[in-house]
Amino acid sequence: MGRLSGEKLYEIFARQKREDRFEHVGTVQAPGPELARVYAWQTYDEAKWFEMIVASRDAFHPVNRDESPFTLHPTEIS
Amino acid sequence: MTPSNPEAWRTASDVPESIRGPLGKLLLSLADNKRLLGMRYSEWILGAPTLEAGIACSAMAQDEWGHGRILYAMLKDFGYDPGALEHEREAAEYLSSELLDTQPDDWPTMLALNALLDTALTVQCEALTESRFAPLHYKVSKLLDEERFHFEHARGWTVRLAETETGRNALGDAFTAAAGPCLRWFGSAGGDIGSALATEGVVDGDPNALRERWFDRVGPLLEQVGASVPPSTELGWPDWDDGRRRTGAGGPDPDTLARVRGDKNRAMLMD
Repeated sequence: MGRLSGEKLYEIFARQKREDRFEHVGTVQAPGPELARVYAWQTYDEAKWFEMIVASRDAFHPVNRDESPFTLHPTEIS
Repeated sequence: MTPSNPEAWRTASDVPESIRGPLGKLLLSLADNKRLLGMRYSEWILGAPTLEAGIACSAMAQDEWGHGRILYAMLKDFGYDPGALEHEREAAEYLSSELLDTQPDDWPTMLALNALLDTALTVQCEALTESRFAPLHYKVSKLLDEERFHFEHARGWTVRLAETETGRNALGDAFTAAAGPCLRWFGSAGGDIGSALATEGVVDGDPNALRERWFDRVGPLLEQVGASVPPSTELGWPDWDDGRRRTGAGGPDPDTLARVRGDKNRAMLMD
């Protein structure tokens, strides 16, 4: 298994109740938002989510730092 | 028909004898196909092209096995022994599609099961959501909710593979090979079982109507990869067995049968 060409990283946010704030629950790699939705729902199924949303990582713009958002370690920079 | 319909059947014993047999066979067919389809998904957990696709296969396998277990349990009220159904039958007693007899050789063949056969099972389940046999309503709606992302997985991968000529051709060949068996799976137009279940309000469409619904759903995918699909009116039916909803007298191959029955764990069965 490895990276297929043209795949992007998608960030996943979810909340268990309507009154909850969204929390960042993880990341999936997919060729487009259609499969990203499927992978997100099937991978992060640890809770009975009221709502889950995905967005490609490149949709997020840093505000106070220059590096890519969601980066935990330099090796994770895509 | 709705649950409030006075003519609804609330238990299996309410179902007339002439319909109980065909309805039991329909549930057993769905259970067997879901059990085996789940096994086929599970075989790709570690072999899928991406980690995410492997996890998706794992989730779909769990869904199908859960649905199979629910359906086998329902059959107790139809005079079957669920334990024997799950663990003691021979290959020729399975009411499963010939597409599930052997392990798919490659990812496009697995995707054909995902896109075409899984959708056929879903179309059949959708036709039961307002069945005259009321115990199906809640179970089928829960099951369909879990099926929601199976087709989207197939559609996403079809788009993905159709981007290249190699992928499009491979998927086109796999879809072409699976389309005929899926169309036939709904039953022959003149067959007693599908027609009787539709007439009695157990299913809300006869086999031809279900074939049309299936084609409406998967048609765009078939077209996208140039798959060749025979019109329903020109389907061949050689060696068709309407009772087992399959072509040919075979069944799951020996390895599949041993694993699906849990032969290695037989001594530890605890049901």
